[in-house]
Amino acid sequence: MIEVKGLFKGFGDKVVLHDIDAVFGTGQCNMIIGKSGSGKTVLLKNLIGLFEPDRGDILYDGDSLVAMDEGRRKLLHQNIGVLFQGSALFDFATVIENVMFPMNFFTDWSVAQKRERAEFCLEKVNIVGSNDKYPSELSGGMQKRVGIARALALSPKYLFCDEPNSGLDPYTSILIDKLISDLTKEFNITTVINTHDMNSMLEIGDNICFIDSGTIAWKGDRHSILDTDCASLKEFICANTLARNIMEGQGR
Amino acid sequence: MIKTAIEKVGEYFLFLRKVFSRPENARLYWKQFILETDKLIISSILIVAVISIFIGGVLAIQTASNLENPFIDKMYVGYMVRESLILEFCSTMVALILAGKMGSNIASELGSMRITEQIDAMDMMGVNSAAFLVQPKIIAATLLSPLLMMLSFILGLIGGYIVVDFTGIIRTASYIEGIKYSFNGFYIVYSCFKTALFCFLISSISSFEGYYAGGGSLGVGRSSTRAIVAASILILMFDLIVTEVMLY
Ligand SMILES: Nc1ncnc2c1ncn2[C@@H]1O[C@H](COP(=O)(O)OP(=O)(O)OP(=O)(O)O)[C@@H](O)[C@H]1O
Ligand SMILES: [Mg+2]
Repeated sequence: MIEVKGLFKGFGDKVVLHDIDAVFGTGQCNMIIGKSGSGKTVLLKNLIGLFEPDRGDILYDGDSLVAMDEGRRKLLHQNIGVLFQGSALFDFATVIENVMFPMNFFTDWSVAQKRERAEFCLEKVNIVGSNDKYPSELSGGMQKRVGIARALALSPKYLFCDEPNSGLDPYTSILIDKLISDLTKEFNITTVINTHDMNSMLEIGDNICFIDSGTIAWKGDRHSILDTDCASLKEFICANTLARNIMEGQGR
Repeated sequence: MIKTAIEKVGEYFLFLRKVFSRPENARLYWKQFILETDKLIISSILIVAVISIFIGGVLAIQTASNLENPFIDKMYVGYMVRESLILEFCSTMVALILAGKMGSNIASELGSMRITEQIDAMDMMGVNSAAFLVQPKIIAATLLSPLLMMLSFILGLIGGYIVVDFTGIIRTASYIEGIKYSFNGFYIVYSCFKTALFCFLISSISSFEGYYAGGGSLGVGRSSTRAIVAASILILMFDLIVTEVMLY
């Protein structure tokens, strides 16, 4: 479980996030949604420690991230899997080496064991037969999937995905969503996903936070999101024709 | 202005401390060291070889034309070519050329890893990215660059020989005699030390600039320019200091 308490973050004199309070539960797909530029990535980077919050605290199962020293943060990071918005694959390494990279550092498995694990992860994200390609030889969507495989390599306790399915076709999107959701349930992972994809929200959103003008304007889950009274969230959702039709069809 | 400069120096030393923390996994670092040796040292052999041969030739002609006086033994041409090569050219000149080649390679590589979040991704795995990416580069550049210096020295002398043989400005026998004349072995130590120091400066400064690059591809370009300028100036400053300390 990750708790965020009274988080503030700005750059220079521009406030990007203020008064963020949230709880991201274990074994749940927690979603952060909002318009482009609303601060989703900034919030996620605060959660994982890439940005230091100006004020407020982040608790990992009760442990304060802000108070942790370098050594304890490193230990925590070994339990964290992150998929970056731009995939961030290492371009000096092939697909399979990318997935094996964290294993090289933090396990004493044999090469065969590492290979097997990497191939298992790659199979899960539907990448087969590209093991020896370099990231620059893959399409954007494939890079994303390899990024997910790498984030899963060490069976993390906490998984963070920054727009896991932007740039993917609808079929693969759903596959990835299902995959993340299944793994979350199966291994009891605390998963936090940034997205503006309506399908994902309605499909797997166990706990949804909507960010608007720098703060959380609405919290709920995939069942309650279509009943919302929050005007800015309605506007956000109704950008999607399907969702608009559903809401209008229900007479709301 | 002065304050930011001092801050930068402070950041640089903090960065070095991060770089030289204990490797998590010695075997991975060793593999990385081999890769860096190939990228930074082996791939520099050709350019060092070409310029050394040419400069050796040019030095021979220039020295010969300066020693027209019939009372001076012509073997001094060989002697002076050797001394210029070992004292200054093979360390400082080669280092200035490597500052361009190695410096831009390191800074742009690390800079683009930074802006595509690859360094963040590494940190997020709990890997010490500074140590893993930078330590093998600095060690390879510092420990192995004296070999490039030796290569440059030998090829410079050969370049001089070729020109002497071709043009006949002096007899090849007296050129050879001059090369062997009154050789001070300490100059080799001095030159190796200088080269190692200069390559440490090049690799650490350009790593520092690349590692903290920001602002997209323009930022990467800026940081590699800054790295090369800073490294070149520091090379010349330290050349003066080391020469004063070691030779005087
Ligand atoms: N390093 C930074 N320095 C200054 N401002 C930043 C920085 N990173 C983000 N911002 C600002 O913070 C705001 C939120 O950006 P963020 O990347 O979090 O948006 P986002 O919600 O992830 O959008 P998208 O859906 O397009 O990814 C933007 O206005 C951006 O200009
Ligand atoms: Mg974003």
